[in-house]
Amino acid sequence: MEMVWATLSKTVKYLFRKPYTRMVPKSEPPFKTENLRGRHILDLNKCTGCGMCKIVCPAFAIDLVPVEGDFPQNKPKRFPRIDLHKCTFCGLCVEYCPFSALVMTDTTGFELYTKDKDSTLVMPTELAKPPKPEGYRVTITKDRFLKQLPPPKPKKVESKKGKG
Amino acid sequence: MGGNGSKTVMLYFGPQHPGVPGNVGYKVWVDGERVVDAELVPGFLHRGFEKMMEFRTWEMNVVMGYRFCVEDPDSLELGYAEAVDRIFKIDIPEKAKYVRMIQAEFGRIASHMFWVNFMAGVTGLRTVGFWAIAAREEILKWFGWVVGHRVYHSFSVPGGIRWDVPEGFKERTLEVTNKVEDIVKDIESALLKNRVFRARTQGIGILKADDAIKMGVTGPSLRAAGVPYDVRKVVPYENYDKVTFDVPTMTEADAYARSVVRFKEVYQSLRIIRQAVEEVRPGEPHRIKLPLAAPKGVGIARIEAARGEYFIHIVSNGGRQPYRVRLRSVSMPLMTTAVKHIIKNEEVTIADFPIIVKSLDPCSPDIDR
Repeated sequence: MEMVWATLSKTVKYLFRKPYTRMVPKSEPPFKTENLRGRHILDLNKCTGCGMCKIVCPAFAIDLVPVEGDFPQNKPKRFPRIDLHKCTFCGLCVEYCPFSALVMTDTTGFELYTKDKDSTLVMPTELAKPPKPEGYRVTITKDRFLKQLPPPKPKKVESKKGKG
Repeated sequence: MGGNGSKTVMLYFGPQHPGVPGNVGYKVWVDGERVVDAELVPGFLHRGFEKMMEFRTWEMNVVMGYRFCVEDPDSLELGYAEAVDRIFKIDIPEKAKYVRMIQAEFGRIASHMFWVNFMAGVTGLRTVGFWAIAAREEILKWFGWVVGHRVYHSFSVPGGIRWDVPEGFKERTLEVTNKVEDIVKDIESALLKNRVFRARTQGIGILKADDAIKMGVTGPSLRAAGVPYDVRKVVPYENYDKVTFDVPTMTEADAYARSVVRFKEVYQSLRIIRQAVEEVRPGEPHRIKLPLAAPKGVGIARIEAARGEYFIHIVSNGGRQPYRVRLRSVSMPLMTTAVKHIIKNEEVTIADFPIIVKSLDPCSPDIDR
Protein backbone atom coordinates (compact mmCIF):
# COMPACT_ATOMS: atom_id res chain seq x y z
CA MET A 1 0.00 0.00 0.00
CA GLU A 2 2.72 2.41 0.99
CA MET A 3 4.66 1.55 -2.14
CA VAL A 4 2.03 2.75 -4.54
CA TRP A 5 0.45 5.52 -2.42
CA ALA A 6 1.60 8.26 -4.81
CA THR A 7 -0.27 6.61 -7.66
CA LEU A 8 -3.33 5.61 -5.63
CA SER A 9 -3.97 9.12 -4.34
CA LYS A 10 -4.05 10.49 -7.89
CA THR A 11 -6.15 7.55 -9.07
CA VAL A 12 -8.83 8.36 -6.50
CA LYS A 13 -8.87 11.94 -7.81
CA TYR A 14 -9.43 10.71 -11.36
CA LEU A 15 -11.98 8.12 -10.22
CA PHE A 16 -14.60 10.79 -9.55
CA ARG A 17 -14.16 12.56 -12.86
CA LYS A 18 -16.32 12.25 -15.92
CA PRO A 19 -14.98 9.69 -18.40
CA TYR A 20 -12.69 11.28 -20.96
CA THR A 21 -13.65 8.91 -23.75
CA ARG A 22 -16.39 10.09 -26.09
CA MET A 23 -18.72 7.47 -27.54
CA VAL A 24 -18.49 8.27 -31.24
CA PRO A 25 -20.80 7.94 -33.16
CA LYS A 26 -23.22 6.31 -30.72
CA SER A 27 -23.94 9.27 -28.47
CA GLU A 28 -21.70 12.06 -29.74
CA PRO A 29 -20.71 13.31 -33.19
CA PRO A 30 -17.05 13.21 -34.25
CA PHE A 31 -14.91 16.33 -33.85
CA LYS A 32 -15.36 18.72 -36.73
CA THR A 33 -13.25 21.84 -37.02
CA GLU A 34 -13.15 24.79 -39.37
CA ASN A 35 -9.97 23.49 -40.99
CA LEU A 36 -10.84 19.82 -41.35
CA ARG A 37 -9.74 18.44 -44.68
CA GLY A 38 -12.26 15.91 -45.94
CA ARG A 39 -13.94 14.68 -49.11
CA HIS A 40 -13.63 17.04 -52.09
CA ILE A 41 -16.29 18.74 -54.18
CA LEU A 42 -15.52 19.49 -57.83
CA ASP A 43 -17.07 22.40 -59.71
CA LEU A 44 -17.62 21.05 -63.24
CA ASN A 45 -18.24 24.57 -64.54
CA LYS A 46 -14.83 25.87 -63.38
CA CYS A 47 -12.52 22.91 -64.09
CA THR A 48 -10.60 23.26 -67.35
CA GLY A 49 -8.99 19.83 -67.20
CA CYS A 50 -5.48 21.28 -66.90
CA GLY A 51 -4.38 18.39 -64.70
CA MET A 52 -2.58 20.43 -62.05
CA CYS A 53 -4.31 18.45 -59.29
CA LYS A 54 -3.01 15.25 -60.86
CA ILE A 55 0.54 16.63 -61.01
CA VAL A 56 0.73 17.75 -57.36
CA CYS A 57 -1.02 14.77 -55.77
CA PRO A 58 1.65 13.05 -53.63
CA ALA A 59 -0.34 9.81 -53.40
CA PHE A 60 -1.04 9.71 -57.15
CA ALA A 61 -4.72 9.39 -56.30
CA ILE A 62 -6.02 11.63 -59.10
CA ASP A 63 -6.67 10.63 -62.72
CA LEU A 64 -8.26 12.61 -65.52
CA VAL A 65 -11.24 10.82 -67.09
CA PRO A 66 -13.62 11.89 -69.89
CA VAL A 67 -17.11 13.10 -69.01
CA GLU A 68 -20.05 13.47 -71.38
CA GLY A 69 -21.74 16.87 -71.47
CA ASP A 70 -21.40 20.46 -72.56
CA PHE A 71 -18.47 22.23 -70.91
CA PRO A 72 -17.29 25.29 -72.87
CA GLN A 73 -14.29 25.94 -70.57
CA ASN A 74 -13.12 22.31 -70.75
CA LYS A 75 -12.65 21.40 -74.44
CA PRO A 76 -11.15 17.91 -73.96
CA LYS A 77 -13.95 17.17 -71.45
CA ARG A 78 -11.53 15.56 -69.00
CA PHE A 79 -12.10 15.93 -65.27
CA PRO A 80 -10.32 14.63 -62.15
CA ARG A 81 -11.37 11.33 -60.65
CA ILE A 82 -10.16 10.89 -57.08
CA ASP A 83 -9.36 7.54 -55.48
CA LEU A 84 -10.35 8.09 -51.85
CA HIS A 85 -8.62 4.82 -51.01
CA LYS A 86 -5.27 6.43 -51.83
CA CYS A 87 -6.05 10.04 -50.89
CA THR A 88 -4.23 11.37 -47.81
CA PHE A 89 -6.42 14.51 -47.62
CA CYS A 90 -3.38 16.78 -47.67
CA GLY A 91 -5.24 19.46 -49.66
CA LEU A 92 -2.50 20.13 -52.21
CA CYS A 93 -4.98 19.70 -55.10
CA VAL A 94 -7.08 22.51 -53.65
CA GLU A 95 -4.03 24.68 -53.01
CA TYR A 96 -2.58 24.34 -56.52
CA CYS A 97 -5.81 24.34 -58.60
CA PRO A 98 -5.44 27.47 -60.78
CA PHE A 99 -9.21 27.87 -61.25
CA SER A 100 -10.49 27.18 -57.69
CA ALA A 101 -12.50 24.23 -59.01
CA LEU A 102 -11.83 21.94 -56.06
CA VAL A 103 -12.89 22.55 -52.46
CA MET A 104 -12.78 20.31 -49.40
CA THR A 105 -15.58 19.55 -46.95
CA ASP A 106 -15.58 18.28 -43.39
CA THR A 107 -16.94 14.86 -44.40
CA THR A 108 -14.26 12.35 -43.51
CA GLY A 109 -13.44 9.23 -41.55
CA PHE A 110 -16.20 6.70 -41.06
CA GLU A 111 -18.63 8.86 -43.07
CA LEU A 112 -16.75 7.77 -46.18
CA TYR A 113 -17.03 4.12 -45.20
CA THR A 114 -17.82 1.74 -48.01
CA LYS A 115 -18.08 -2.01 -48.32
CA ASP A 116 -17.19 -2.07 -51.99
CA LYS A 117 -13.56 -1.42 -52.87
CA ASP A 118 -14.43 -0.20 -56.36
CA SER A 119 -16.66 2.55 -54.99
CA THR A 120 -13.63 4.37 -53.51
CA LEU A 121 -12.97 5.66 -57.02
CA VAL A 122 -15.12 8.80 -57.11
CA MET A 123 -16.04 9.72 -60.67
CA PRO A 124 -16.16 13.45 -61.61
CA THR A 125 -19.95 13.45 -61.87
CA GLU A 126 -20.22 12.08 -58.31
CA LEU A 127 -17.47 14.40 -57.15
CA ALA A 128 -19.53 17.36 -58.30
CA LYS A 129 -22.32 16.40 -55.89
CA PRO A 130 -22.03 17.15 -52.16
CA PRO A 131 -20.78 14.22 -50.05
CA LYS A 132 -24.15 13.88 -48.33
CA PRO A 133 -27.49 15.66 -48.72
CA GLU A 134 -27.08 17.85 -45.64
CA GLY A 135 -24.97 18.33 -42.54
CA TYR A 136 -21.70 19.06 -44.28
CA ARG A 137 -19.64 22.25 -44.50
CA VAL A 138 -17.11 23.50 -47.04
CA THR A 139 -13.87 23.98 -45.10
CA ILE A 140 -10.81 24.41 -47.30
CA THR A 141 -11.00 26.61 -50.38
CA LYS A 142 -8.43 28.23 -52.64
CA ASP A 143 -8.96 31.63 -50.93
CA ARG A 144 -7.10 30.39 -47.90
CA PHE A 145 -3.86 30.10 -49.84
CA LEU A 146 -4.00 33.38 -51.71
CA LYS A 147 -2.63 35.67 -48.98
CA GLN A 148 1.03 35.06 -49.63
CA LEU A 149 4.01 37.33 -50.04
CA PRO A 150 5.82 37.35 -53.39
CA PRO A 151 9.22 35.63 -53.33
CA PRO A 152 12.18 37.91 -52.60
CA LYS A 153 14.57 38.57 -55.45
CA PRO A 154 17.60 36.30 -55.08
CA LYS A 155 20.06 39.17 -55.63
CA LYS A 156 18.86 40.92 -52.50
CA VAL A 157 19.51 37.88 -50.30
CA GLU A 158 23.02 37.44 -51.70
CA SER A 159 23.95 41.08 -51.11
CA LYS A 160 22.74 40.82 -47.51
CA LYS A 161 24.85 37.73 -46.99
CA GLY A 162 27.89 39.39 -48.48
CA LYS A 163 27.64 42.28 -46.05
CA GLY A 164 27.27 40.01 -43.03
CA MET B 1 25.53 -18.26 -28.37
CA GLY B 2 25.57 -19.41 -24.80
CA GLY B 3 28.42 -19.88 -22.39
CA ASN B 4 29.44 -22.28 -19.59
CA GLY B 5 27.80 -25.19 -21.36
CA SER B 6 24.31 -23.81 -20.76
CA LYS B 7 21.63 -23.99 -23.39
CA THR B 8 20.30 -20.78 -24.84
CA VAL B 9 16.91 -20.50 -26.48
CA MET B 10 16.00 -18.02 -29.18
CA LEU B 11 12.66 -16.24 -28.78
CA TYR B 12 10.87 -13.92 -31.14
CA PHE B 13 9.92 -10.74 -29.29
CA GLY B 14 7.50 -8.83 -31.49
CA PRO B 15 6.31 -7.47 -33.85
CA GLN B 16 3.01 -8.55 -32.26
CA HIS B 17 3.95 -7.76 -28.69
CA PRO B 18 2.85 -4.88 -26.46
CA GLY B 19 6.38 -4.39 -25.15
CA VAL B 20 7.86 -3.71 -28.56
CA PRO B 21 8.03 -0.13 -29.80
CA GLY B 22 5.96 -0.41 -32.95
CA ASN B 23 6.36 -2.50 -36.06
CA VAL B 24 9.68 -4.16 -35.34
CA GLY B 25 10.68 -7.41 -33.80
CA TYR B 26 13.61 -8.63 -31.75
CA LYS B 27 15.27 -12.00 -31.78
CA VAL B 28 16.12 -12.51 -28.11
CA TRP B 29 18.47 -15.25 -26.93
CA VAL B 30 17.70 -16.28 -23.35
CA ASP B 31 19.53 -18.44 -20.88
CA GLY B 32 16.89 -19.27 -18.30
CA GLU B 33 15.45 -15.86 -17.58
CA ARG B 34 18.55 -13.89 -18.48
CA VAL B 35 18.70 -12.20 -21.86
CA VAL B 36 22.06 -13.04 -23.43
CA ASP B 37 21.77 -11.29 -26.77
CA ALA B 38 19.22 -9.46 -28.87
CA GLU B 39 19.04 -8.77 -32.55
CA LEU B 40 16.73 -6.34 -34.28
CA VAL B 41 14.39 -7.65 -36.98
CA PRO B 42 13.45 -4.59 -39.05
CA GLY B 43 11.72 -4.31 -42.41
CA PHE B 44 8.03 -4.44 -41.56
CA LEU B 45 7.57 -0.81 -42.57
CA HIS B 46 10.08 -0.44 -45.34
CA ARG B 47 8.73 1.62 -48.23
CA GLY B 48 11.80 3.49 -49.42
CA PHE B 49 10.67 6.98 -48.43
CA GLU B 50 13.96 8.65 -49.34
CA LYS B 51 13.75 7.22 -52.85
CA MET B 52 10.07 8.13 -53.16
CA MET B 53 10.91 11.73 -52.30
CA GLU B 54 13.23 11.92 -55.31
CA PHE B 55 10.23 11.40 -57.58
CA ARG B 56 8.00 14.01 -56.01
CA THR B 57 8.11 17.76 -56.28
CA TRP B 58 9.11 20.15 -53.49
CA GLU B 59 5.56 20.82 -52.34
CA MET B 60 4.52 17.15 -52.56
CA ASN B 61 7.41 16.10 -50.36
CA VAL B 62 5.94 18.06 -47.45
CA VAL B 63 3.38 15.28 -47.24
CA MET B 64 6.10 12.60 -47.50
CA GLY B 65 8.76 14.07 -45.23
CA TYR B 66 7.07 13.52 -41.89
CA ARG B 67 6.17 9.89 -42.39
CA PHE B 68 9.56 8.78 -41.09
CA CYS B 69 8.22 8.93 -37.55
CA VAL B 70 4.54 8.59 -36.75
CA GLU B 71 4.79 9.63 -33.13
CA ASP B 72 6.76 12.84 -33.70
CA PRO B 73 5.96 14.07 -37.23
CA ASP B 74 6.16 17.80 -36.50
CA SER B 75 9.91 18.01 -35.98
CA LEU B 76 10.46 16.21 -39.28
CA GLU B 77 8.02 18.51 -41.03
CA LEU B 78 9.91 21.48 -39.67
CA GLY B 79 13.23 19.92 -40.69
CA TYR B 80 12.19 19.35 -44.28
CA ALA B 81 10.71 22.85 -44.58
CA GLU B 82 13.85 24.40 -43.10
CA ALA B 83 16.19 22.50 -45.42
CA VAL B 84 14.18 23.53 -48.49
CA ASP B 85 14.08 27.15 -47.27
CA ARG B 86 17.87 27.09 -47.31
CA ILE B 87 17.95 25.79 -50.89
CA PHE B 88 15.66 28.63 -51.95
CA LYS B 89 17.77 31.03 -49.82
CA ILE B 90 14.81 32.75 -48.24
CA ASP B 91 14.16 34.09 -44.80
CA ILE B 92 10.62 33.20 -43.76
CA PRO B 93 8.36 35.67 -41.88
CA GLU B 94 8.85 35.92 -38.10
CA LYS B 95 5.29 34.80 -37.45
CA ALA B 96 5.83 31.57 -39.38
CA LYS B 97 8.99 30.87 -37.37
CA TYR B 98 7.14 31.16 -34.06
CA VAL B 99 4.16 29.08 -35.21
CA ARG B 100 6.53 26.39 -36.47
CA MET B 101 8.20 26.37 -33.06
CA ILE B 102 4.86 26.05 -31.27
CA GLN B 103 3.91 23.19 -33.58
CA ALA B 104 7.20 21.38 -33.01
CA GLU B 105 7.03 21.81 -29.24
CA PHE B 106 3.44 20.56 -29.07
CA GLY B 107 4.58 17.63 -31.19
CA ARG B 108 7.35 16.93 -28.70
CA ILE B 109 4.92 16.94 -25.77
CA ALA B 110 2.48 14.69 -27.66
CA SER B 111 5.33 12.30 -28.42
CA HIS B 112 6.51 12.22 -24.79
CA MET B 113 2.95 11.65 -23.61
CA PHE B 114 2.62 8.74 -26.01
CA TRP B 115 5.87 7.40 -24.58
CA VAL B 116 4.43 7.66 -21.04
CA ASN B 117 1.59 5.41 -22.13
CA PHE B 118 4.02 2.68 -23.25
CA MET B 119 6.48 3.17 -20.40
CA ALA B 120 3.68 2.96 -17.84
CA GLY B 121 2.35 -0.07 -19.68
CA VAL B 122 5.58 -2.05 -19.53
CA THR B 123 5.98 -1.29 -15.82
CA GLY B 124 2.40 -2.37 -15.08
CA LEU B 125 0.89 1.08 -14.41
CA ARG B 126 -1.61 1.20 -17.25
CA THR B 127 -3.92 3.65 -15.45
CA VAL B 128 -1.31 6.39 -15.58
CA GLY B 129 -0.84 5.72 -19.27
CA PHE B 130 -4.47 6.55 -19.95
CA TRP B 131 -4.08 9.98 -18.35
CA ALA B 132 -1.15 10.60 -20.67
CA ILE B 133 -3.35 9.77 -23.64
CA ALA B 134 -5.85 12.35 -22.33
CA ALA B 135 -3.07 14.98 -22.24
CA ARG B 136 -2.07 14.03 -25.77
CA GLU B 137 -5.70 14.25 -26.86
CA GLU B 138 -5.86 17.89 -25.71
CA ILE B 139 -2.90 18.61 -27.99
CA LEU B 140 -4.41 16.67 -30.89
CA LYS B 141 -7.63 18.66 -30.51
CA TRP B 142 -5.56 21.84 -30.71
CA PHE B 143 -3.93 20.53 -33.88
CA GLY B 144 -7.36 19.71 -35.27
CA TRP B 145 -8.44 23.26 -34.61
CA VAL B 146 -5.39 25.00 -36.11
CA VAL B 147 -4.29 22.59 -38.81
CA GLY B 148 -7.36 20.48 -39.51
CA HIS B 149 -5.77 17.08 -38.99
CA ARG B 150 -4.77 15.41 -35.78
CA VAL B 151 -1.62 13.38 -36.43
CA TYR B 152 -0.14 14.27 -39.84
CA HIS B 153 -0.40 18.02 -40.13
CA SER B 154 1.46 19.18 -43.29
CA PHE B 155 1.38 22.71 -41.89
CA SER B 156 5.03 23.80 -41.90
CA VAL B 157 5.73 24.14 -45.60
CA PRO B 158 8.73 25.63 -47.42
CA GLY B 159 8.24 29.39 -47.27
CA GLY B 160 6.38 29.57 -43.96
CA ILE B 161 3.19 28.07 -42.64
CA ARG B 162 0.35 26.89 -44.80
CA TRP B 163 -2.37 29.26 -43.67
CA ASP B 164 -2.89 31.91 -41.06
CA VAL B 165 -3.68 30.81 -37.51
CA PRO B 166 -7.36 31.07 -36.47
CA GLU B 167 -8.79 33.84 -34.33
CA GLY B 168 -8.22 33.53 -30.61
CA PHE B 169 -5.02 31.59 -31.23
CA LYS B 170 -3.17 32.94 -28.21
CA GLU B 171 -5.97 32.35 -25.69
CA ARG B 172 -6.74 28.82 -26.87
CA THR B 173 -3.05 27.85 -26.98
CA LEU B 174 -2.44 29.10 -23.44
CA GLU B 175 -5.55 27.27 -22.28
CA VAL B 176 -4.26 24.01 -23.78
CA THR B 177 -0.82 24.45 -22.18
CA ASN B 178 -2.48 24.94 -18.78
CA LYS B 179 -4.66 21.87 -19.21
CA VAL B 180 -1.72 19.76 -20.33
CA GLU B 181 0.47 21.00 -17.48
CA ASP B 182 -2.16 19.99 -14.91
CA ILE B 183 -2.36 16.44 -16.27
CA VAL B 184 1.42 16.15 -16.66
CA LYS B 185 1.93 17.16 -13.01
CA ASP B 186 -0.46 14.41 -11.92
CA ILE B 187 1.25 11.85 -14.15
CA GLU B 188 4.69 12.89 -12.93
CA SER B 189 3.85 12.43 -9.26
CA ALA B 190 1.91 9.22 -9.89
CA LEU B 191 4.61 7.64 -12.06
CA LEU B 192 7.97 8.89 -10.84
CA LYS B 193 7.17 8.72 -7.12
CA ASN B 194 5.68 5.24 -7.41
CA ARG B 195 8.07 2.83 -5.76
CA VAL B 196 7.20 -0.02 -8.09
CA PHE B 197 8.20 2.15 -11.05
CA ARG B 198 11.41 3.23 -9.32
CA ALA B 199 12.33 -0.33 -8.43
CA ARG B 200 11.80 -1.44 -12.01
CA THR B 201 13.76 1.41 -13.60
CA GLN B 202 16.48 2.63 -11.23
CA GLY B 203 19.88 1.16 -11.99
CA ILE B 204 18.55 -0.60 -15.10
CA GLY B 205 19.67 0.09 -18.65
CA ILE B 206 22.69 2.22 -17.82
CA LEU B 207 24.13 4.00 -20.86
CA LYS B 208 27.12 6.12 -19.81
CA ALA B 209 27.92 9.40 -21.53
CA ASP B 210 31.11 8.36 -23.35
CA ASP B 211 29.51 5.13 -24.62
CA ALA B 212 26.42 7.02 -25.74
CA ILE B 213 28.48 9.57 -27.67
CA LYS B 214 30.52 6.80 -29.33
CA MET B 215 27.33 5.07 -30.45
CA GLY B 216 25.75 8.26 -31.78
CA VAL B 217 22.96 8.39 -29.22
CA THR B 218 21.36 11.84 -28.92
CA GLY B 219 18.32 13.39 -27.32
CA PRO B 220 16.95 12.60 -23.85
CA SER B 221 18.97 9.38 -23.64
CA LEU B 222 22.21 11.37 -23.92
CA ARG B 223 21.03 14.16 -21.63
CA ALA B 224 20.12 11.58 -18.97
CA ALA B 225 23.84 10.71 -18.93
CA GLY B 226 24.76 14.26 -18.01
CA VAL B 227 25.64 15.72 -21.41
CA PRO B 228 23.70 19.00 -21.94
CA TYR B 229 23.58 18.56 -25.72
CA ASP B 230 20.53 20.06 -27.39
CA VAL B 231 20.54 21.23 -31.02
CA ARG B 232 18.12 23.99 -30.10
CA LYS B 233 20.91 25.48 -27.96
CA VAL B 234 24.00 24.36 -29.88
CA VAL B 235 22.90 25.41 -33.39
CA PRO B 236 19.68 27.38 -32.86
CA TYR B 237 17.22 27.16 -35.74
CA GLU B 238 13.99 29.12 -36.25
CA ASN B 239 13.80 31.51 -33.27
CA TYR B 240 15.02 29.20 -30.53
CA ASP B 241 17.77 31.69 -29.70
CA LYS B 242 15.13 34.31 -28.88
CA VAL B 243 13.31 32.30 -26.22
CA THR B 244 14.67 31.22 -22.84
CA PHE B 245 14.61 27.61 -21.79
CA ASP B 246 16.84 25.15 -19.93
CA VAL B 247 18.29 21.85 -21.05
CA PRO B 248 17.41 19.38 -18.29
CA THR B 249 20.05 16.76 -17.52
CA MET B 250 20.54 13.88 -15.08
CA THR B 251 23.69 11.99 -14.19
CA GLU B 252 22.42 8.48 -13.36
CA ALA B 253 22.06 7.46 -17.05
CA ASP B 254 19.57 4.70 -16.21
CA ALA B 255 15.96 4.15 -17.34
CA TYR B 256 14.68 6.25 -14.43
CA ALA B 257 16.92 9.20 -15.32
CA ARG B 258 15.70 9.08 -18.90
CA SER B 259 12.11 9.18 -17.67
CA VAL B 260 12.80 12.18 -15.42
CA VAL B 261 14.53 14.05 -18.25
CA ARG B 262 11.51 13.55 -20.51
CA PHE B 263 9.13 14.94 -17.90
CA LYS B 264 11.38 17.96 -17.32
CA GLU B 265 11.52 18.51 -21.08
CA VAL B 266 7.74 18.70 -21.26
CA TYR B 267 7.77 21.65 -18.84
CA GLN B 268 10.49 23.36 -20.89
CA SER B 269 8.44 22.85 -24.06
CA LEU B 270 5.42 24.43 -22.40
CA ARG B 271 7.67 27.33 -21.39
CA ILE B 272 8.81 27.80 -25.00
CA ILE B 273 5.21 27.69 -26.27
CA ARG B 274 4.12 30.34 -23.76
CA GLN B 275 6.89 32.67 -24.89
CA ALA B 276 6.42 32.00 -28.62
CA VAL B 277 2.65 32.51 -28.57
CA GLU B 278 3.16 36.11 -27.41
CA GLU B 279 5.02 36.85 -30.65
CA VAL B 280 2.27 35.52 -32.94
CA ARG B 281 0.30 38.64 -33.87
CA PRO B 282 -2.77 38.61 -36.09
CA GLY B 283 -2.52 40.21 -39.51
CA GLU B 284 1.21 39.67 -40.04
CA PRO B 285 2.41 37.80 -43.15
CA HIS B 286 2.85 34.08 -42.66
CA ARG B 287 4.13 32.67 -45.94
CA ILE B 288 6.32 33.49 -48.91
CA LYS B 289 5.17 32.06 -52.21
CA LEU B 290 8.01 30.05 -53.65
CA PRO B 291 8.69 29.47 -57.33
CA LEU B 292 7.94 25.97 -58.57
CA ALA B 293 11.54 25.16 -59.52
CA ALA B 294 14.36 25.35 -57.00
CA PRO B 295 17.86 26.71 -57.66
CA LYS B 296 20.89 24.43 -57.55
CA GLY B 297 22.20 23.95 -54.07
CA VAL B 298 22.34 21.98 -50.85
CA GLY B 299 19.97 22.35 -47.91
CA ILE B 300 20.90 21.08 -44.49
CA ALA B 301 18.75 21.17 -41.38
CA ARG B 302 19.58 19.92 -37.90
CA ILE B 303 16.54 19.43 -35.75
CA GLU B 304 16.14 18.47 -32.12
CA ALA B 305 13.20 16.09 -32.26
CA ALA B 306 11.59 14.34 -29.31
CA ARG B 307 14.02 11.43 -29.65
CA GLY B 308 17.21 13.23 -30.60
CA GLU B 309 18.94 14.95 -33.44
CA TYR B 310 17.71 14.60 -37.00
CA PHE B 311 20.03 15.64 -39.77
CA ILE B 312 18.20 16.35 -43.01
CA HIS B 313 20.32 16.76 -46.11
CA ILE B 314 18.70 17.68 -49.43
CA VAL B 315 20.60 18.12 -52.69
CA SER B 316 19.00 20.06 -55.52
CA ASN B 317 20.22 19.98 -59.10
CA GLY B 318 17.73 22.67 -59.98
CA GLY B 319 14.24 21.90 -61.18
CA ARG B 320 11.05 20.60 -59.65
CA GLN B 321 12.35 17.65 -57.68
CA PRO B 322 15.16 17.02 -55.20
CA TYR B 323 18.14 15.06 -56.47
CA ARG B 324 18.63 13.29 -53.16
CA VAL B 325 17.07 13.43 -49.70
CA ARG B 326 18.97 11.90 -46.82
CA LEU B 327 17.88 11.64 -43.24
CA ARG B 328 20.08 10.75 -40.29
CA SER B 329 17.98 8.41 -38.20
CA VAL B 330 17.73 8.94 -34.45
CA SER B 331 16.42 5.52 -33.56
CA MET B 332 18.95 3.29 -35.31
CA PRO B 333 21.67 3.51 -32.60
CA LEU B 334 19.03 3.30 -29.87
CA MET B 335 17.50 0.09 -31.19
CA THR B 336 20.63 -1.74 -32.24
CA THR B 337 23.93 -0.85 -30.59
CA ALA B 338 22.57 0.77 -27.41
CA VAL B 339 20.34 -2.21 -26.59
CA LYS B 340 23.18 -4.67 -27.32
CA HIS B 341 25.59 -2.63 -25.23
CA ILE B 342 23.24 -2.64 -22.25
CA ILE B 343 22.62 -6.39 -22.52
CA LYS B 344 26.38 -7.08 -22.61
CA ASN B 345 27.08 -4.92 -19.56
CA GLU B 346 24.18 -5.81 -17.30
CA GLU B 347 22.24 -8.78 -16.14
CA VAL B 348 19.06 -8.20 -18.09
CA THR B 349 16.05 -10.42 -17.50
CA ILE B 350 13.14 -10.93 -19.87
CA ALA B 351 11.00 -8.62 -17.72
CA ASP B 352 13.60 -5.84 -17.93
CA PHE B 353 14.02 -6.04 -21.68
CA PRO B 354 10.88 -4.09 -22.71
CA ILE B 355 11.64 -1.46 -20.07
CA ILE B 356 15.14 -0.91 -21.45
CA VAL B 357 13.94 -0.71 -25.05
CA LYS B 358 11.08 1.60 -24.23
CA SER B 359 13.10 3.85 -21.92
CA LEU B 360 15.32 4.66 -24.92
CA ASP B 361 12.10 5.54 -26.80
CA PRO B 362 13.00 4.51 -30.34
CA CYS B 363 10.60 4.99 -33.22
CA SER B 364 10.35 1.99 -35.50
CA PRO B 365 9.40 3.62 -38.86
CA ASP B 366 12.44 5.82 -38.41
CA ILE B 367 14.83 2.88 -38.94
CA ASP B 368 12.97 1.31 -41.86
CA ARG B 369 11.94 4.22 -44.05
